[in-house]
Order: sequence, then structure tokens, then C-alpha cells
Amino acid sequence: MRSSPELRPNFWDALVALAVVLLAAGCGFAVWGGQNGAAALTAVVSVDGVETERLVLADTGETERTVESNGYTLCLRLTETEVWVEEADCPTQDCVHTGHISRSGQSIVCLPARVIITLEGGQPVDNGVDIVVG
Amino acid sequence: MKRITAVLMAVLMITGLTACGEADPDKARESIQVIAMDTPMVFTAYGEKSTHAVYMAEDEARRLDALLSRTDENSVIYQLNHADGLGITVGEEVCGLIEAAEAYSQATGGAFDISIAPVVSAWGFTTDRYRVPDEAELAELLTHVGSEHITTAEDAAALDPGTQIDLGGIAKGYASDRVVAIFRENNVPRGKAELGGNILVMGDKPDGTPWRVGVQDPAKPDEEAYAAILTLEDAFIVTSGSYQRYFEENGKRYHHIIDPATGHPADSGLTSVTVVADSAEGNGTMCDALSTALFVMGEERALDFWRSGTYDFELVLVTEDGRVVVTDGLKDILTEVEESGYTYEIVS
Repeated sequence: MRSSPELRPNFWDALVALAVVLLAAGCGFAVWGGQNGAAALTAVVSVDGVETERLVLADTGETERTVESNGYTLCLRLTETEVWVEEADCPTQDCVHTGHISRSGQSIVCLPARVIITLEGGQPVDNGVDIVVG
Repeated sequence: MKRITAVLMAVLMITGLTACGEADPDKARESIQVIAMDTPMVFTAYGEKSTHAVYMAEDEARRLDALLSRTDENSVIYQLNHADGLGITVGEEVCGLIEAAEAYSQATGGAFDISIAPVVSAWGFTTDRYRVPDEAELAELLTHVGSEHITTAEDAAALDPGTQIDLGGIAKGYASDRVVAIFRENNVPRGKAELGGNILVMGDKPDGTPWRVGVQDPAKPDEEAYAAILTLEDAFIVTSGSYQRYFEENGKRYHHIIDPATGHPADSGLTSVTVVADSAEGNGTMCDALSTALFVMGEERALDFWRSGTYDFELVLVTEDGRVVVTDGLKDILTEVEESGYTYEIVS
């Protein structure tokens, strides 16, 4: 039996079908695919609760940033894998003593300057606990 | 027509998939880190209103910071401390907090005392200009310490001349009580909050397991090292430890937890006290006050106080001689850390 020429798939039908498949695949990736992929390790600098800078370590490479806040100055050093406060003129020096941070979720906090540097993205840290008290 | 139908179906599919992504409350997660009350805080919430909830929590922490600060000239506490013995209106909230602090002071035999503030300042812990005060100075300051120097009535309070108070010993605990209330108002199914050494865990984790809370090893304060790990849901956990703030002079270490009976850093044989209670509102404040008081009281008195049943809480005590003493309400949810080198004792 021969089908009617009107029912036979033509080029435009194939194009629409391809578009539907691509849209569905793209949508599925957007909804589910991105959740397992870790974002790049990023240093987020916030001053007095306001985010001032976001630096993707892999993109910025070895660099320096000066953060001035609340009358104090912090000299921040970044490489492709870690961040630390090289020097600061704050009285406590806790930010300097925190040392190098290199994993997602780690932070450097300078209370006198009211500065927080947090690492986001990258591989999540699994040190066996979700939160530390003390 | 068929082509239009196909395109419409694709659009519907996209919409449907996107909606699926939003329907799961665990996909809606918000976490912010802020500085308030002189400490870093992290608020993490799940659920549709998670963003609203964490920013409300931040606003509340900042409101309490401004209200309860001892150093901010605009705060009610600063004004009370500088009222030269006159009574002033402090508001029902602050009055209630002062009365709660008084109750914890009475219950612990004065081991917790908000009027110890001038003594703490004499050691330099409020200004980071550390010094060892002489005995005559401490003796004079201690004459102004004690509940009898504080008067409250409805929304007003007064301090005897020379007496000053600092609500820092319960302020973060009270803030955590407010955070749990805000999370509940916003239908947050699970979340956590860190306010310095005060922790709140709410619900379970997105994978359905309890939160794993590491109790910092006091012997290794700068390392990821734990004296014990607790698995908890819906709980407040607060630690006070001699390692958290200290200075050294002439080879001797002086920490920030001052014994109101002596005016000196508490020498109780403990290096940290962790108090655990369920997340009922008010327990955050209780855990905060008791962690300080029980550190001052030492192992024996702390355990006697726990056994008295005055308040409903559990304890993890870390001692100077290398023991972790745990009350039996925690025995099924405590994981020992072999590499810590501590020996573990369950007490009842």
C-alpha cells in the first residue's frame, strides 16, 4: 500500500523533529546535567556583608589584590589553587594566621576589617563532618 | 499544523522540566556568610523561602548586635552601663534577656555572671590589649560583680554605680533562638546556622541523614581535628573552650573565660565544654549560658548540675588530662575519633 504524499515525512518534518530532540536534550542537560558538574574554584571577597569581587582562580592565575575596609588594609594573594592574606595591618592578625585556603567552603575572616574571603565551587570538601562547633 | 504542534510540545516539555527542577525544595538552597556580634556567621537554609529566610536571619543578627553591643554608644546596653546608677528604659526584650541571664546565674551558683564584664575588660579581652591585672585591681572590680547589683522591672533596668553588664555570654545564643524562629516562620525544612561557637542544625540533610557535627579538638584548634563527632537533627550545640581566645605572658597562658569567684581565667581542668539541647526556642540561649558556666564549674560540678535535671541538655566535656566525658543521652549519636588520642567515658 502506498502512503499519501501529504503523510510522507519531508525535509521540514525532519528539521522540526531534530529541533524538538535538541531542545529536549538541551533542557534536560540544563536541569539535571549541571548539578553534578562542579563550578570552577572561585574566591568571593565580601566587605561588610557586600560582595565586592569574585575571582575564578583558574582564570586569574597568580595575582594580588588589596582590600581596604574599616580603616585596615589586607594584601590578598591568589594562585590557581589557593588564596591567603599575605599581610594586614589589623590588630588581631587572625586573617594572616589562617594561612592558605584551597578547598570549597573554606574562609578567611578578618573581623576588624569586616572582610570575608570564601572559596566556592570546585570539588566539595569531605572531611567527615558537615559543621564544626568550637 | 503538525509542525506547530511539535514546537508547542517542545516548549511544554521545557516548561515541564524546568518546573520539575523548582518543585524540589532541596534545590532551593541559600547560604550567606556575614560578620555580626564580632563573629563570623553562616546561615544556610533550604526550601522555597530559603533566600528570604537567610537574609531575615542576617537582619536579625545585625539588629541584636546594635541593641546588645557593649561598645556601641547607641546601644541600650552601653547606655545602661553609663547611666551612673540611674534606671533607664531598656525595652521588654532586653529586660527579658537580663532576667534570663540572672536566672542562669542563680541556677549555676554565680558561675555565669553578666556583671563580670569590667573584669574581662581589665584582662584586655574586649580591646585585644591584653594584660595581667594585679590582685588589688581585681579585688576592687569584683566588689561590683554579682546579681545583687542589677535591678529589673518590666521594661526598665538599673545597675549599681561601678557595675557594668555584657550580654555577650548569651547574645549569640539568643540570636540562634531568633534564627530558628525565622526559619520556622519561613517553612524552612532543613538548614543550619553558625554563630561563632553557637550552632543550630534544623531538620536532616537533603540525603535524609542527620547532620554530622564535629566537636573541635581543643588541643589542635588550628587543624581540622575533632574530639568527637555527633550526629544530630533539630538541635542547638554550643562550645566554650579555653583555646578560643587567649594570650601568653611570661610563658603562662591566660584564656578569656573568667571565673566570677576569683576574677582569674577559670582553672577547672577542662579545655572545652559542649552543651547540646533540642531546637526548642530558648534552648539556644540556655546552651550558650551553660557552656560558659559549666566550663567555670569544672567536671564534677558540671556533671552534678546535669544530673540535677534543672535544665534538659547533654554534655561533651574535654579534660586537660586527655579524656572526653559524654553524658549518656549522647552515647548513641557520638562517634569516637580514634586518632585524637582521647579516652572516652560515658557517664549517667
